Amino acid sequence: MPVTGPGTGPGTNPGTGPADDAPMRVVIAEDSVLLAEGLKRVLADAGFEVAGLAADAGALIRLTGQIRPRVVLADIRMPPTQTTEGLEAALEIRRRWPGTAVLVMSQHVETQHVVELLAGDPRGVGYVLKERVADIAQFTDAVRRVAAGESVIDPEIIARLVARPRAGSPLESLTDREKEVLALMAEGRSNQAIAQQLWMSPKTVETHVGSIFTKLDLLPDAGDHRRVLAVLAFLRQ
Amino acid sequence: MNPRLRAALIAAALATITFQLVTFYVNGWPGPPAPLFVFSTTVVLAAYLGTGIIAWQRHPADQIGLLFTLTGYAWFLPQLLSLHYAVPFTIAGGTAFVYQGCLGHLGLAWPYGKLRGRADRVVVAANYAWNIASPIAANLFWNPRATGCSAACPANLLLIDDSPRLYQDVGQITTVLGFPVTVAVIALIVVHWRRSRGYARRAMNALIWVSIPVAGYITILNIAGLVDLSQYNVLIYEAGPLLLAAPPVAYLVAALRAWRARGAVSSALVSMEPGPHPAKLRDALARALGDPTLQLAARTAGAAAFTDTDGATVDLASLPAGRMVTPLDTPGEAVLIHDAELKHEPELIRVAAAAASLALEHARLQAEIQVQLDQVRASRARIVEAGDAERRRLERDLHDGAQQRLVTLSLAIGIARDRAAGADPDLEALLESASKEARAAIAELRELARGIHPAVLTQTGLEGAIQALVERSPVTTQVRAVPPGRFPAQVEATAYFVVSEALANVAKHAQARAAVVTVREQSGRLEVEVSDDGVGGAQAGSGSGLAGLADRVASVGGSLTVHSPPGGGTRLQAVIPCP
Repeated sequence: MPVTGPGTGPGTNPGTGPADDAPMRVVIAEDSVLLAEGLKRVLADAGFEVAGLAADAGALIRLTGQIRPRVVLADIRMPPTQTTEGLEAALEIRRRWPGTAVLVMSQHVETQHVVELLAGDPRGVGYVLKERVADIAQFTDAVRRVAAGESVIDPEIIARLVARPRAGSPLESLTDREKEVLALMAEGRSNQAIAQQLWMSPKTVETHVGSIFTKLDLLPDAGDHRRVLAVLAFLRQ
Repeated sequence: MNPRLRAALIAAALATITFQLVTFYVNGWPGPPAPLFVFSTTVVLAAYLGTGIIAWQRHPADQIGLLFTLTGYAWFLPQLLSLHYAVPFTIAGGTAFVYQGCLGHLGLAWPYGKLRGRADRVVVAANYAWNIASPIAANLFWNPRATGCSAACPANLLLIDDSPRLYQDVGQITTVLGFPVTVAVIALIVVHWRRSRGYARRAMNALIWVSIPVAGYITILNIAGLVDLSQYNVLIYEAGPLLLAAPPVAYLVAALRAWRARGAVSSALVSMEPGPHPAKLRDALARALGDPTLQLAARTAGAAAFTDTDGATVDLASLPAGRMVTPLDTPGEAVLIHDAELKHEPELIRVAAAAASLALEHARLQAEIQVQLDQVRASRARIVEAGDAERRRLERDLHDGAQQRLVTLSLAIGIARDRAAGADPDLEALLESASKEARAAIAELRELARGIHPAVLTQTGLEGAIQALVERSPVTTQVRAVPPGRFPAQVEATAYFVVSEALANVAKHAQARAAVVTVREQSGRLEVEVSDDGVGGAQAGSGSGLAGLADRVASVGGSLTVHSPPGGGTRLQAVIPCP
């Protein structure tokens, strides 16, 4: 099964887009000023240009329209209702400016949010737990991956789904290695990224992926950006 | 009734009956009468005298008892004929029809012995006059010897001219003259019947039935005076008088019915459902009292006018004639408005009023309890709601406060660690472990906040929240159905906690291999079911989490049932009203 990731992979200079050499522009929506400033600093250090800070969903959409950033980083819970306006703003941005990548930061381990966020087009969309910022390299990598059009789902959420007890489920028939590959697929990783992370050859990853799809009776979707949704749907069953 | 009067009446009645029987057999004239005649005349005498005493006893204020008694003695007078002495013989002949005058009086004064107006009085007087005058007039010309007796014949002291011819002519003329009087009596009875309403109607119906045999018999007697009907003598003179017993019998039946009605009133009210609607109470009372016009009216505190069960305003000060008010002994003001004729049955009215008071009081208490129960239910729902609001607030405070600060702190530690990287390995390791601690604290705080109140429930509703519960369940759990829409916050929270508590129980106690969660919306209610294939034996007793859960479900007006036979798995069902 030829599955290739559209992304550039970790470690790539964020500024090297296909069209321009300028630093990648980011808009941050985070109502905690302290955290917003910290994020701005971290992203600037990593070579991004933080072009705007928004404290609520309305400001975020306005700024996004003005600045047209490559990536939007949004807290899921913002004023005024402190519920899921970050998520709704992300969906709105994706609808208005489909090329804009969105990474939603949340303190909730809720697959329902992930499914809602990714339901339209999962390319360039991500959902990470906020505490991911503690590991700066991992965090900036997630930003780069959505910018590159990958899907990013927090490993913690996937780990919980994979660890669920499933008496009589075909998941039980997967080998440990296959489960690792499955988890990385669910996180939105490309075959190439999986190969790098698990120290395998891309060929081996492809074999595992094929085997997983057969065992789980999933349709090998041609567009591999759909596979994150298929795997996620399976894991939520 | 005065006991002495009663004793005297009873003694007189017994003496009269005995006297009549003795004269019939010892001194009968023109010979011992036929046994059927003795029987029927004695039955009629006993019926009137007996009923007279009973009626007098029941209604001492009314004259009906007196009328029955007088009719009885008037019936007795002509039987003195059997004494073949001149004086009683003459009296008997002259008073032969007085009882018919009394019967007319009784009919027009039915049922309480009171004449209703001038027309009544005129007709009653005419009836008496004719029935007294006509036999006296005829007897002026009647010689007892015409019957064939000779020396043994008693003398007719009224005799002025022994003329069989005149006797016959006078008899026929007075008989013909009597018809209009009889017709007038019957016509007035019909008028009284047609005017009767409410409670009196029943008694007047009985009178109509009674009038037919009585008027019929009297008419036949009169016809027999004009036409020769001697071949029917046995029927007319021996059996016929029995027809005259109809009024006493009807009166006794009515008395018996009134007596039984007292019991009927209470049993009719007792058999009603507790705290009956006033309209139903009125219907039951109207039936039991035999007064379809009965009204039950009440006045709320401070209101000026009474309102009856049909919602009509009733002015007690200007009631139509023939209506009477009986107040009920209730805390609120309530009255029975009924046919004034019922005043003759004070005992019946008293029983009805007491029973109605009791029923109204019952209804009032029930309404009061219902109000209090509603208040308690509402207050319980408010308490639970306030608790939920407080949990939401706590969750939000944790999320926006401590969790947010820890995230900011981890970011700062992360930056510091990056700065230390390569330069100071000890510091880097220290910061790495600090970062781990901070992340662990964040994760713990997240689960704590989630347990207090799941944000996903308020954010996305039942579907996502139950999915999250199922994903966290340590037992293989399948969601069979959850309606996708949103429901009132209290409904969602209750359904969520039912599933949450049920799945926690499955994990802790059931030793189940699998569990299934089903939520269905059906005709205005949410049905939540969690079942497993574990060991069963769960009890919703006190102290268990299930008791608290049942309280929680009841707070929104729902119900919780647990079906958990030992070894047969557990099925927990909650039905939550969902307006």
